[in-house]
Formats: sequence, structure tokens, C-alpha cells
Amino acid sequence: MKITANHLTHYYGDECVLNDVTLSLESGKFVAIIGESGSGKTTLLSILSTLLNPTSGEVFFDDKTVAQWGNIDEFRRKKIGFVFQFHYLISYLTLRENIALGAMEPSAIEPLMEALGIEKLSRRYSDEVSGGQRQRAAIARALVNAPGVVFADEPTGNLDTKNAIMVYELFKRFATEGTGFVVASHDKKIAEYADIIIEMEDGKIVKISRK
Amino acid sequence: MIIALKALRKNRFKTALIFMSMTVSISMIFLISAISGGVVSMYSSMLKTDGDIIVTQKGIADTFFSDINRSMSDVVATFTGVKESSALILGASPVDKLPIVAIYGVSDNRYDSYTLSSGVYPRSGEVILGSKIYESLKSPKSIVVSKKTFAVSGVFKSRIGFEDGGVVMGLDDAGELFHKSASIFLISLDDLGQSSAVVAKINALDGDIEAKTTDSFIDSYNQFKIIKTSSDVIGAMAFLMGILGIVSMMSMVVNERKSEFGIMRSLGLSSWSIIGKLVVETLVVALLAFAVALGVSLGVLEIIEHVDKFQGYINGEISFALVLNVFIVSLLMAVVGTLLPALYASRIDPMTLIVRGGA
Ligand SMILES: Nc1ncnc2c1ncn2[C@@H]1O[C@H](COP(=O)(O)OP(=O)(O)OP(=O)(O)O)[C@@H](O)[C@H]1O
Ligand SMILES: [Mg+2]
Repeated sequence: MKITANHLTHYYGDECVLNDVTLSLESGKFVAIIGESGSGKTTLLSILSTLLNPTSGEVFFDDKTVAQWGNIDEFRRKKIGFVFQFHYLISYLTLRENIALGAMEPSAIEPLMEALGIEKLSRRYSDEVSGGQRQRAAIARALVNAPGVVFADEPTGNLDTKNAIMVYELFKRFATEGTGFVVASHDKKIAEYADIIIEMEDGKIVKISRK
Repeated sequence: MIIALKALRKNRFKTALIFMSMTVSISMIFLISAISGGVVSMYSSMLKTDGDIIVTQKGIADTFFSDINRSMSDVVATFTGVKESSALILGASPVDKLPIVAIYGVSDNRYDSYTLSSGVYPRSGEVILGSKIYESLKSPKSIVVSKKTFAVSGVFKSRIGFEDGGVVMGLDDAGELFHKSASIFLISLDDLGQSSAVVAKINALDGDIEAKTTDSFIDSYNQFKIIKTSSDVIGAMAFLMGILGIVSMMSMVVNERKSEFGIMRSLGLSSWSIIGKLVVETLVVALLAFAVALGVSLGVLEIIEHVDKFQGYINGEISFALVLNVFIVSLLMAVVGTLLPALYASRIDPMTLIVRGGA
């Protein structure tokens, strides 16, 4: 899914944390947003992903606003996936139930869990598996409806290098299959895997490089 | 539904806390309404079953101070429409070691309103005892009332709890003890439709006495007014406390689960379906709490009724109407308590909920 942002500006109170950002991302790419802490990565990602309303500016998915797509819940469910820094699995549900929560096609769950190597853990709760396994379950939850794009904020922030690389490899693999990824991260390593690298500073994009 | 139950099970500790505070609030509402309502309904049911019209001395604040001429009762009895008129003396006096006991002096035609469980109705110099006082004095053969000794001729059990803590004697004996002719007349009619005519006729009879229908007497009687008002106020406060408690508890719960709310929103679940899950959760707890609270309240009232000290003065009743009211209020509390904070959360951007809510 192609994502276009027009003049995004966002204020928290008087503080301008996103300053007139315009960008266009082609579909099915692995996009990395990098930059110093506080540069506005999370804010930009939240706005691009419909989870935060910008103070001004607009986001288009395949040249349509969310309103034009119809119901926002439907849109999120079908078209967008999310992975957060802390896995944010729901603690009272098993891994499988977490993945099933928004799933439109339950038959998609098992193959996906297998592809991510967590099929044996489907009845465990999130506090009964390792950090890497948790994040894999979160990725499965994001991918279960075969969305056009998955947004991830610091998905490796809580993982060791080995697990971080595993996550990047997964993103890369699914990106080649057509799902776009937009990932905000501190981690310099992400540059080795991403197709497009967006560098931010003080609420502005200072550089975009494509491979 | 299954998700709701899983959430409750996983949050066992918090669920238990919510459950307990709901149970306590609901029990409070039950007990306060039942006990205060019980006192008033007991007095009024006593008066109502005893007569349709009540006659007292004019302008007195309390039947206790009322003094009227008992011979007038016989005059009233001859009025057309009057089925029966009986004179009563209501007094209180120390009896043996008990500091204060209700004494009823009654005319002969009233004895049949006391069902004897043993013995016979009293003659002069004799009394019958309510079952509770009989028990607490350990089955005495005779008792001393204001330095005067009376033989116990029988024991009665009254439908009206607190009468069982009292002593019943003849009108003449009571008149001597309390130095009065009669406190009140209780008049029953052939037909309630005649009540206003009979009331007017009695009031015309003598300037010193005042007749009222039992209903208007109860409404105007100061002590009932005080009990009723205070019970209404306390009951309303219990309701309010219960509602506030549950609303604040639920808003804390919803607050704690903001990030969960945000995640579900990010997965494309609609606000309403998430709110629905939360409401089902609280409804389950509220239903359980209601059932337990009802059981606890009935148990407590049962115990209170059997405690000697109260001598049956407290006879809390949980009527079906009260159960229904409290039931509706409990569910309403749960729904409102969840809806308000959940609706508030649904207006916030999901990302803010997720990040600010804490994992
Ligand atoms: N909810 C908020 N309220 C007020 N200010 C906020 C809020 N969220 C972020 N900010 C501020 O906005 C600025 C950008 O924050 P943002 O989270 O987008 O940065 P970031 O690049 O993701 O940083 P990090 O790498 O530390 O995650 C920061 O100065 C931050 O303090
Ligand atoms: Mg961030």
C-alpha cells in the first residue's frame, strides 16, 4: 500500500514535535525511520498509522484518506498491522488468542505461527515465553490479516542482538512478499536491512536514502 | 463472553477486590433500607392490624403522654359502623432486672389479639408475658413491675416482633400503675368507607380527644416522621456511596487498562465492541456480588432478629420490591461505572492510550 503524507505538523501543547513533514512511500518496502531520541519518530509513525491525529496535515493510503476508505476500525483491521516496543500482548489471553483477537480468517493463524516458529507456544500466556517469542507473537498478530503495511515502533528495543536480527530478517522476508513495513528505531543495524531510510532531526526529515 | 471471563480470571486479585467492594456496598444498601424500613413498617403494621381509627388525647406529641377517659370507648362502640372499640394503656416501666419494658394495659375484648403459647389470659393481679421477655427472665412464675408483684398467667407470641418483649395486663391494673384511665382507643370498622363519618362523630363527642384514621395518624405521628426521614436519608446515602464506590473503582480499572483499550483499537476492534467486553465483565461481577450480598443481608437480618438484646425491636424485612430495586441499581451501577470511563477513553487517540496507559 502506497503511503503519502502532506505537510504533517504536530504540537504537544506549545511544543512543535513534527514540523511540516511531507513524504511518499511506495508499497511493499521496508522503511526505517531513524534519528535521535526525541526527534519525533514515534510521533510521525503514530500519525502515519492512524493512531494519532496530527495537528494539521493529511495522510493518504493509495491516494485515499482514511475517511474515504470508510470505517476507520475496518480500515485498521484489514489494512494495517502494528508492532510496539513492548510487545503489548494482552496478558490474560494466550498467544494464539492474542493473534486471533483481530483475525478475520482464523485459518490464517496456524500457518503464520508456524512460519514464525511459535506454533508450539499457542496455548502459553505472554509471561510464559521469552522476549523474542513474545515479539514474534506480536508480529504474527500484526500480519494475520495480510495488511498492506505494518507499523513498528522500536520493535527490537527490548531484544538482544540475535533476536533483533531475527526480527529484521522477518520484516525483510515479508516485505519481499508484498507487505510494507515502516519501522522507527534507534538501532543503526536496521539500515542494513531496510529499503528506504528516513533520518529525522528535531521534528523534520533531514535525509531520505533508498537502496 | 469467554474473553470477559478470561480477563476476570487473569485479574483474579483485582476482580476479587471489586467483587468484595460491590458486595459490601450492595449489602449496606440492603441492610440499611431493610432495617430502617423494618422499624417503621412494624409500628405501622401493628397499628393498622389493630384498628382503622385511633383516638388519643388532643394535641399530644406522643401516645405515651396521652390520657383519655376509658368510658368513652364504650360510647364509641355503640356508633353505627363501629365493629369494635378497645381501650389501651401504653406504658413503660422497669420489670425485675430489666430497666425498661413496654407495658400494655388492654381491655378484655383485646386479649384475643395475643395468641397464647401457654397458660391463660390474665385476671386481676396477673400478666401475660411476650415470649422474648419470658425467655430473658428465665420463665418466671411472677414478676415485679414498679414495686408491684404480678403472677404470670401465660405466655404469648405476637406477629409483631417487639410486642414479644412486652408485658400485657388488664386495663384496671395498668391504670393503677400509670395513673391514667386510657392512652388510646383502637377502633375497627365494619366498612372502611365509613371512616371519615365515624372520625367526625368521635371528634364531636368531646373536645379533649382526637380521632384520626390509622393511616393519617401514622403519617402525622412525629416519631414515625423522624424514623422515616432519617431512614430515607441514610438509605439514599448508602445508595450514593455504593454508586460512587463502584464508579470510582471502575474508572480505576478502565484507567489501568487504557493500553489494552488502545491495542484493541489498533487491531481494528471498534470502541463499542471493546466497551461491550468491559461491560460484560463488570456485569458478571455485579451479578455475583448481588447474589452474595442478598445472601449475606438475609443472614445478618436473621441473626439480628435472634439477638436477645434487640428483643425483636429490629425486624428488618427484605421485600421483593427492595430486592428488585437493589438489583436494578446494582446492574446500573456496574454499567454506568464502566461506561463513563470507557466512553472517555474511547475519545483518546489509541497511541496516547497505548503509550500513556503503561503495559
Ligand atoms: N504525549 C506527549 N505529550 C507531550 N509531549 C510528548 C508526548 N509524546 C512525545 N512528546 C514529545 O515529543 C517529542 C518527540 O517525541 P517522540 O516520542 O516522537 O520522539 P522519538 O523520536 O520517538 O524518541 P525516542 O527515540 O526516545 O522514542 C519529544 O520531545 C517528546 O518529549
Ligand atoms: Mg519513540
